[in-house]
Amino acid sequence: MSDCENTNYIGKSVQRVDAFEKATGKAKYFEDYQIQYRDLLHVKVLRSPHAHAKIISIDVSAAEALPGVITVVKGSDTDIPWSDLPYASAYYGNPARYEVIWAGQAVVAVAAESIEIAEEALELVKVEYEMLPYVTDQRLAMGVDAIPVTSPELEIAAGYGGPQPEGPNVMGSYKLRHGDVDKAFEEADVIVEEEYQAGKKSTSQIECNGSIVEYQQDGGVKIITNGCGVHGVIKNHILTMYPQLTSSKVRVIQPVTGGSFGNRLFPLVEPLAVLMALRTKRTVSYVLTRKEMYTSSPSNWPVYTKLKLGAKKDGTIIAEKLELVEDAGAQIRGYFDGRLSSSGLMCVYNIPNVHCDSYAVSTNTVPCAPYRGLGCAESEWAMENLLDVLAEKLDMDPLEIRLKNMIKNGETNAYGEKVTSIGLGKCLKAVADGIKIDEPCQQDDGPWKYGKGIAAAGKQNTPLGRAEADCLVHSDGSIEILVSCDEQGMGVQSALRQMAATEFKIDIARVKMTRADTAITPFDNFGASSRTTYTTGNAVIIACQDAIDQLKEAAGREVGLAKKQITIKDGKAYIVGSNTEVIDIADLFKPFDFFTQQTWGLLKGTPVRGRGVFCPAPAVPWFGPGHEDGRTPRMWNWYQFSAFGAEVAVNEETGQIKILKLMSTADSGNPINPKLVEGQIDGGVIMALGFSIMDHHMYQDGKMMNPNMSDYRLPTTLETPLQKNFMRAILPDPLPDGPFNAKGMAESIMIPVGPAIASAIYQAIGVRPTEMPMTAESILKLIKDKEANNAK
Amino acid sequence: MLGVQKMKFNSYHEPETIEECIQILDEQGADAKILAGGTDLVIRMRSRVFKLKAVVSLNAIPELSEVTLKEDGLYIGAMARLMDVSKLELLTDAWEIVKTGAGNVSSMQVRNIATLGGNTCNASPSADTVPSLVVSGAIANIIGKNGPRSVLLEDFFTGPGKTVLAKDEILVSFKLPNYADKTGAVYKKYSIRGDTDIAIIGVAGKITLNAQGEVVDVKIALGGVAPTVMRVPKAEAFLTGKKLTDQLIEEAAVIASESCTPITDARATKEYRTEMVRVWVRHVLTDAAQEAQKN
Repeated sequence: MSDCENTNYIGKSVQRVDAFEKATGKAKYFEDYQIQYRDLLHVKVLRSPHAHAKIISIDVSAAEALPGVITVVKGSDTDIPWSDLPYASAYYGNPARYEVIWAGQAVVAVAAESIEIAEEALELVKVEYEMLPYVTDQRLAMGVDAIPVTSPELEIAAGYGGPQPEGPNVMGSYKLRHGDVDKAFEEADVIVEEEYQAGKKSTSQIECNGSIVEYQQDGGVKIITNGCGVHGVIKNHILTMYPQLTSSKVRVIQPVTGGSFGNRLFPLVEPLAVLMALRTKRTVSYVLTRKEMYTSSPSNWPVYTKLKLGAKKDGTIIAEKLELVEDAGAQIRGYFDGRLSSSGLMCVYNIPNVHCDSYAVSTNTVPCAPYRGLGCAESEWAMENLLDVLAEKLDMDPLEIRLKNMIKNGETNAYGEKVTSIGLGKCLKAVADGIKIDEPCQQDDGPWKYGKGIAAAGKQNTPLGRAEADCLVHSDGSIEILVSCDEQGMGVQSALRQMAATEFKIDIARVKMTRADTAITPFDNFGASSRTTYTTGNAVIIACQDAIDQLKEAAGREVGLAKKQITIKDGKAYIVGSNTEVIDIADLFKPFDFFTQQTWGLLKGTPVRGRGVFCPAPAVPWFGPGHEDGRTPRMWNWYQFSAFGAEVAVNEETGQIKILKLMSTADSGNPINPKLVEGQIDGGVIMALGFSIMDHHMYQDGKMMNPNMSDYRLPTTLETPLQKNFMRAILPDPLPDGPFNAKGMAESIMIPVGPAIASAIYQAIGVRPTEMPMTAESILKLIKDKEANNAK
Repeated sequence: MLGVQKMKFNSYHEPETIEECIQILDEQGADAKILAGGTDLVIRMRSRVFKLKAVVSLNAIPELSEVTLKEDGLYIGAMARLMDVSKLELLTDAWEIVKTGAGNVSSMQVRNIATLGGNTCNASPSADTVPSLVVSGAIANIIGKNGPRSVLLEDFFTGPGKTVLAKDEILVSFKLPNYADKTGAVYKKYSIRGDTDIAIIGVAGKITLNAQGEVVDVKIALGGVAPTVMRVPKAEAFLTGKKLTDQLIEEAAVIASESCTPITDARATKEYRTEMVRVWVRHVLTDAAQEAQKN
């Protein structure tokens, strides 16, 4: 047994709790559960081939007649839960009713005895469409004269708040006024302005979205799914959509699952699978294909940003004006308003005068949803690039201008919100040192040119959603933590386990984790916004303290000491301030025998249960009286930060980019498990390399051209630098209200990667990319344009 | 596994001789497809692009995998796995280009099972093996109901996914004719990812020089820029008989880029492909000329 000094697991790289089951292939993912069901039905969906078309007629008679087909669903069926969905109905994957608004939208769904029969049935469905004009480019979707994404006669507002004056596709807007921007620009010595665009991408996790829904004898459903948020997302939405299902009739289980990076933050497969189970009274399985993952599950939201900065000669930025448009894809009554992305332009630098006009617009493309970074990688692309332009005009270096303007701990940002943790300065200095930004690259006569760049980033954390945790102390003295948070591979279960072991001062081998099952584990909202370590972590600590409190009370009663005289460590009760052991925790539980089984007190086999509920302080509204300027003292929760530096090679003949050396740093708050944080850094960096220079949706005739993994090019290990040139560091600023002063970090890693590469490209070949991803083709075009300009 | 899509077809045949195979193909007609490595066929069957009645495997006919060095050249069986071809020791000097082509196809896992004949008969315009075989002057040996015939590989393709093979015919082997002294051959695949990526373009070039260092023979083959892998006769004629210079090579590269007819797809636009032909023809010819001087 370890003594209590060895039971502080905070900041230690303890092996993951699921390392063995994953490394040996024993971990069970949701598809592994299909084998349990001999009578499983399979769902397949016919999808719109058109970006926008009116459904004239659907004939499913031949499909229904095919042996093995149990039921066929189309949008006009009355049991489809269409009415009053809280957000965009297009998200939920249910069949379209009057018209299809993107190529890939569900039109008809079939449940059949096998996948083959279901697919054959779909080929028998006849759909007559009347083609309608569509818009897939967000810049063309803005404005009062834009082609409407949904037909005007349907009178469906794009946004949640009804029709917007800015145009038929505008969903909403968020405007912020801080200081006097016009005056500040007048006083500025240097002004820079540019337009930027970040493209449309898919998270591309290996495990396709899917679920199994088991029909229950009481008319309820048991959902086994790789979706996120068993309570907060899936159960809550299913209860809203199907009024016949009441709270006790929906059980959601999330088995082992991998990353989804925001893609599953709205229930996409579960609503249709539930509908099929309710109709057929059988167990159904619905798994998206890879193509459907691209054409029918949400992408990120592309962002257009027009940014203008004004600075004094000494480099102090005094004015920021931004116009930002989020492309929300094909949404009906979506909640987007530009606020999420524009937050990235207000959280890193302390600029006294800010004018923000941000919007969201719908287009006839795959609906958009959160993607690691929540629009900040897309918006800060503009800020970080324009800062380099500004630095050059001021004859400052990119490091200096950033450090000079970076917001400091205790200062308030443009929202009027106080910053409580920021370690970005040391992150940025570390990457500058790491890639030796001051030493120029050696150039040669070949087509490859070399350059270095750095960039910084920040991202807000959501105050939304409480987390709960239960802590069981079993009569063998071991601890069990029950939480519903999404473990999507990031290792949060391991981090929470370290927190619990540290609270109990117990050998971590005696702490067990039980995960998301709404029948067993308490409420948690969702695994989003890098919130789990913070929100669920705080709940776990409260639950542990509650259980420890109960143990102290029981031990004190047993040995005749006051509760406050007892301390718990190593599974034993000690007298406070001494090493005098008074009782083993296991001995507090009385044997279960003829005389004790009906008595009060702790009994073998019935654990002590501690409860923890943690609610982040709620946001203060940024609208309504007193908030006409869009400002509020509490818009978000806390901020995570990251800096990135890269040395790249650019091929002048082909436009290809190679990353030769990189360094990423994370201000994660106090890291609970540094190895896991490093894993998040590495994974985030590689994802961001693809995001920045390779992968994106391509559209032709309103359809995605590359909905497969050969044409949707994700980076492989061959696109990353050698291990010795892949550097990372954790440089925390402790978060006062974080569990053991930790905060989340997984999203900010993404954000500075693209701009740092762009900065390196500029150093290498003298062109400044404004569109992301910076594909070889787009870089070559910039090179050719520059050559043409020089020739003039 | 229950959730995995199964392929549906009525019959699976595994003939052990070429004769038996031809007979089955003749009987099945257009309803049958040939299974070599399966790396294209199986995917298309699973995605229901192909709905077949019969699958005829060539995997039980050992002679289709044979590699034989004869006086008139090297014979490589159509069922030779790409991994084996990419390591074939008999492919020396100017034949090494065939190794390069085979080694450039997709991933190691795919190369372990995919075959040289399969990659060819799939007739993708961007097949990595084909430009190398074409500049090597490869001849496709075919057998069918009416007996054997041979076709110059560059005449084997009739369009994307289309070849001269009749329903009752199979590709048996490739013959690589012997190469002359002072011959250099180079294949370069241009793709965005380092591995497991389909070529944006592929360029093969073969140059034979005489004692004076003049070009006696030059072949250029381009993949991914036309409905089939294409030669560039105009650029070849332009270089023949000349002593190569950087300037001449650049001019030939421009001719090549003007000769091709690429399309825009998910890998690149036609403009980018055209520009890449110019860049990579230049690199390929420069390297091939250097090789030729060495050999």
